[in-house]
Amino acid sequence: MPKPIIRIVNLTKKFGNLTAVDHLNLEIEEGEILGLLGPNGAGKTTTLLMLTTVLRPTEGTAFVGPYDVTQEPDKARTLVGMAFQDPKVLWVSTPWDILNWHAKVCGIPSNEREKRLRWVLEEVGLWNERRKSVHTFSGGMRKRIEVAKILVQRPKIAIIDEPTTQIDIVGKHRIWNMIRSLRDEGSTILLATNELYEADVLSDRVAIIHRGKLLVCDNPKKLKDSIPGGDVIEVVLGKDVSKKCLEEVERMNRVVDVLSTKPNHLKIYLNKAEEVLPQITEFFLKMRIPIKSVQMSEPTLDDVFAHYTGLTIEEAEKR
Amino acid sequence: MAVKAILYIMERDLRYFFRYKWWLAGMVSMNLADLFIMAVVYTRMVDPKIGNYFLFFSPGITITALFAAAFMIGREINREIRREISHYMLSLPIKRWELAFGRVLAGAVRGIIYMIPLLLTTLAVTALLAGNVPSALEILTIILALFLISIGTSGLSITIAVSTTSFEKYVTTRGVVYYVLFFCSTVFYPLKFIESVMPQAFALIAKYNPLSCGADLARSFLLRNQSIELFMPLDLMVFALIFASAALFAYMKIMQK
Ligand SMILES: Nc1ncnc2c1ncn2[C@@H]1O[C@H](COP(=O)(O)OP(=O)(O)OP(=O)(O)O)[C@@H](O)[C@H]1O
Ligand SMILES: [Mg+2]
Repeated sequence: MPKPIIRIVNLTKKFGNLTAVDHLNLEIEEGEILGLLGPNGAGKTTTLLMLTTVLRPTEGTAFVGPYDVTQEPDKARTLVGMAFQDPKVLWVSTPWDILNWHAKVCGIPSNEREKRLRWVLEEVGLWNERRKSVHTFSGGMRKRIEVAKILVQRPKIAIIDEPTTQIDIVGKHRIWNMIRSLRDEGSTILLATNELYEADVLSDRVAIIHRGKLLVCDNPKKLKDSIPGGDVIEVVLGKDVSKKCLEEVERMNRVVDVLSTKPNHLKIYLNKAEEVLPQITEFFLKMRIPIKSVQMSEPTLDDVFAHYTGLTIEEAEKR
Repeated sequence: MAVKAILYIMERDLRYFFRYKWWLAGMVSMNLADLFIMAVVYTRMVDPKIGNYFLFFSPGITITALFAAAFMIGREINREIRREISHYMLSLPIKRWELAFGRVLAGAVRGIIYMIPLLLTTLAVTALLAGNVPSALEILTIILALFLISIGTSGLSITIAVSTTSFEKYVTTRGVVYYVLFFCSTVFYPLKFIESVMPQAFALIAKYNPLSCGADLARSFLLRNQSIELFMPLDLMVFALIFASAALFAYMKIMQK
């Protein structure tokens, strides 16, 4: 059993009346990529900022390596590096200056610095722009610089807040690969995201949080297997369905759970979908509710989230 | 490592300062223009008992420039806080006091750099008009005194920047501080004048105002019009110490929300 390198204990942060992080307990093992998945406002960024000692916990604490962030913040920071959700760049600088300065402050010796900067800038696709002022850069380009900082730094614990928002699909894959190789070189990675796919493909374990609380934490496969009913059928109907109809579907053999994401949109969790599907279509025909589309799929992390909250992540973000 | 960390922090602030070199050059020229307009206009208007007002005012405007330039760091830090760039600075693997101290020093060095052309002009003016040329040691003493003012000013501006959340509050506080420090000081008029026209309390503030002490200390070497009193250098040291500590405290206790 690998030992935890970050131990979050009852961590709580209140902003006035709002509890952004609510008695969170979580352990991150050395050498893993842990994805912190949750909708907007779940408290991901706030949690990460407490780990990097930018914010002070209202209650509880976290241990980064052996250091308690509330007692020895200066020491805790020597182990971590953070790539922020919103790029923190001064618009008067160039990518080269930003990264070079960052590397210097992080204590990377000058002979090593040049090599790393070149490699990272090429990888994130900013080598040709390295001397241009960032005020001409697009949001995605700034975000690349933000992620590049941590790739240059290679901290023992890399804390990365939504690394690929605003970045195109080719860029996303490159960044995911670089995050993996950072892990392979020995860093532990804590990554916040609200993208299901990112959490799924990148994380060794996923911790799902909602309203500042931890719902579950396990590896993505186990999480998906854990929801009752191994299959999912999504049905879009031509009419809204009544509560009674829903209950009838729920009572069908092998159906485990029915979630109505919109009045005419059902997500049915069940076993042996291929056998139940004819029964379901027959039922709606009998009720004179036209079926617009039917889709069978495997559960995703969204279904895991929905299982615990009764909402999809998209819905949770709207609330 | 501490020295290195502090130097890196200073490097960032100084580079940022020099990105505005043309703007800075423009500002310095404006200060110089002010000085020469004073020379022409005020010298004829002001009571000759004060002496040559141009000579009196010249060290004063040097202090004004120093103060304004050293105060700039606060505005930048306030903006960093509002844009949450401060989060980045706070997350860096250096100690908080190193970060804070680096920024105080950077602000102070900027003040000195900005002030140098004005000090040189003042030296030239006093040499030409009053025939006084201070020795190298005296010039060094002036710069040291001005550096203490610069540290205090930088610390003061950082303290205000960190303690005020909104830009409006920052600007208002800065305005009040400017007003009090310059109005009740001997930067623009001699203490005798203040004592004769203003309430006693104002005169007291003016006497121990670090800006007054700096200006009078410079004048004593440049114009040889008064002698240095012991309280002057002490006053400057206390000013620098208090506000450098206040800035450190602000960074270590208030910045982390
Ligand atoms: N400085 C602050 N002052 C007041 N409220 C805050 C502050 N920072 C965050 N919050 C609130 O705390 C809650 C959690 O915010 P947080 O930024 O941690 O969410 P998140 O999970 O990172 O969301 P996102 O996916 O949008 O980045 C939100 O309701 C937010 O409005
Ligand atoms: Mg966030």
